[in-house]
Amino acid sequence: MSNENKHWKKDFPINRPESNEVSRRDFARILTFVSGGMVLGNAAIAAKAYFSNKETSSTKQKICTTSDIPIGGTKSFVLENSSIPYILIHTEEDEYFSYEQKCTHLSCAVFYRPGTMKIECPCHNGWFNAKTGEVLQGPPPRPLTKLEVILEGNDIFVKKNRL
Amino acid sequence: MSTFRRGQEQSHPQKKNMIMSTLIVVLLINLLIQIWLLYTALNNALEGHPEVAYSTFIASFVLFVVCVIWLFFLPRK
Repeated sequence: MSNENKHWKKDFPINRPESNEVSRRDFARILTFVSGGMVLGNAAIAAKAYFSNKETSSTKQKICTTSDIPIGGTKSFVLENSSIPYILIHTEEDEYFSYEQKCTHLSCAVFYRPGTMKIECPCHNGWFNAKTGEVLQGPPPRPLTKLEVILEGNDIFVKKNRL
Repeated sequence: MSTFRRGQEQSHPQKKNMIMSTLIVVLLINLLIQIWLLYTALNNALEGHPEVAYSTFIASFVLFVVCVIWLFFLPRK
């Protein structure tokens, strides 16, 4: 076998410091490789967004009756065929709102703080508007996912609407 | 016999060094923009605006092509 190809000398140099050396061209190659990874990640998000667009809105689901939640109270529940936790809030203004119970920052459980009309994430002091789900303060980047609340007599239903 | 390249390197010994560093800085800036695009796409998709992901994908792909072309122009030695 010919020893003409001297690449092995580069891969297994005699001096130890040379074996740890990363040339600027190698570094640039790594950057370009990571750049390709970013494109793939973006493509995955675009593909998921494109294909999940075709889902239709779910049917409404009964959660409880109005007498089950006192004013300022909260009820936790999950939707059928889903494990995502949601909360139903009965505010001091006698209105009902329902949100996903996962903070949009790092998915900590959020809670309604009675008397404040605010939803709190205790992990990093994030606050949301109880009426709209909008971020009021803290690190959460997005509003809470909201469910539509439908009152029929004394029964409370929720419905998930796809955007 | 002297060549153009050898003449350049003798009169400007730091030139190649400067070119390499500049190209790598541009690659790093491209990568930072791509990270920002990915973050934006993810946040908007989760917020219910998936159409943003299409435009960020195109922008990210263009930047990747630029990175590959940039790598091609990086001095070999």
